[in-house]
Amino acid sequence: MRRSPGPMDRDLALPRYGLLYRLFGVAAAVWITVVLVLGFLGPVPNLPILEQSARNLYFHVPMWFVLYAGAIAGAWHAGRYLATGRTVHDVRSEAAWMVSTVAGVTALVTGVLWSRFTWYQGTGLWWSPEPRQNMVAVQLLISGAYFVLRGSLDRPRQRARLSAVYALFATATMPFLTYVLPRRMASLHPGAEGNPAFSQMDLAGDMRWVFYSAAVGFLMLGWWLYTQRVRAKVAELRAEALAPEAAPVSVVVSSS
Amino acid sequence: MDWLAGTLAVVANDARLELRTRVALSGLGLFVAASLVLVRVALAQGQPSVPVAAALLWVVVVFASAVGLGRAFVAEEERGTSLLLQLHLRPSQVYAGKLVFNAGLMLGVVTLAALGFRLLVPVPLVAPGLLAAALALGALGIAAATTLLSALVARARAAGPLLPVLSFPVLVPILYPAVTLTISASMSGSWAEAQPDLVLMGAYAGLLVSASFLLFEYVWRD
Repeated sequence: MRRSPGPMDRDLALPRYGLLYRLFGVAAAVWITVVLVLGFLGPVPNLPILEQSARNLYFHVPMWFVLYAGAIAGAWHAGRYLATGRTVHDVRSEAAWMVSTVAGVTALVTGVLWSRFTWYQGTGLWWSPEPRQNMVAVQLLISGAYFVLRGSLDRPRQRARLSAVYALFATATMPFLTYVLPRRMASLHPGAEGNPAFSQMDLAGDMRWVFYSAAVGFLMLGWWLYTQRVRAKVAELRAEALAPEAAPVSVVVSSS
Repeated sequence: MDWLAGTLAVVANDARLELRTRVALSGLGLFVAASLVLVRVALAQGQPSVPVAAALLWVVVVFASAVGLGRAFVAEEERGTSLLLQLHLRPSQVYAGKLVFNAGLMLGVVTLAALGFRLLVPVPLVAPGLLAAALALGALGIAAATTLLSALVARARAAGPLLPVLSFPVLVPILYPAVTLTISASMSGSWAEAQPDLVLMGAYAGLLVSASFLLFEYVWRD
């Protein structure tokens, strides 16, 4: 039986995920499985130095897309929070940043591993002075700072407001960090300085469709993780508001 | 012009307060001096190459900014005067005033750091004008980045190194062109080559100031 909407529903509406969402979850799982199987077993052109590590393309690059999507979603919801004050936007912003951070860590690790066994084969180097690598590290510092800031603030509304401000401020600097600066620096990275990247001629036909599917699949997975986290967090906050585990003498404050 | 008068009043107030006791100013100056001496001691007999010396200079400047620029807003919270500021002035005036004050402070810091470096860690200097431009733009950019974040940290009343943690990633797009220009000032000193970096620093500082103006109200008003 559906009760009438109360004030909490305006502030912290529980996202309603019905049959379509569940089907989407199944589809995402199947899609990613197929991508993984094809990624590891499918044919890749066996180029010198690159060899089988070319498969990393299916994982490294889509992580970058998820990182960007997460950061933009996080900034969008941060802006909505400052405009409307609804807690659900703060929850969404935090979930988006979390997905973005996970993707960023994966992008960094896959990038470091890839460069170690290709560009730095035989040198024993782990960390290269590769600009994009450094910029992802800086982006991860921003993510880390966002979560440190959230952790240091106790009052929920203040925490939401100040972390939203930081999210917007830091995302405003992202185009400089990830786009403008790397173009100014010498780089071996594909796509920089005219190095081959994604054009028709550069990406082998064998790999092209798996790569596109991987990009779509990881974006689907990222979105699914994000919505799961949002729903869990909103449910937790609603439960706390309705039946807080407060000490007997303290005053119940749902959001100060 | 009321807006301008209010802004200048904030600047004058901060300047008067800092000059009255001089504790914060001399503390910051001593921090820069101590960092320079530490660098010299850590280098022992070694003579660093031009890129390393440039990197060291800017690292000292960035750390000095983290230590020195937080005071603008924390002092208001400590003295309990932030409510007075909220009542009398618009948020944009408070931000602009603090920004101008911090910019002045940073210009002092970079001057001190650069002079100290010339003395303690001498490297060839072909184009002093280019170095001065890099230092000035760097100082303005750092002030632009740090002022909003210091307001955020002051509101958060958080302990620990929160301001460096928040500001260092945002300072990277200032740091990289600044170091490039500093190296160029020591080696070739070509203004034509330096133009993209100078424009980049100016553009980034402009971006930070615009974003801060838009966001400051949300930090300032509880």
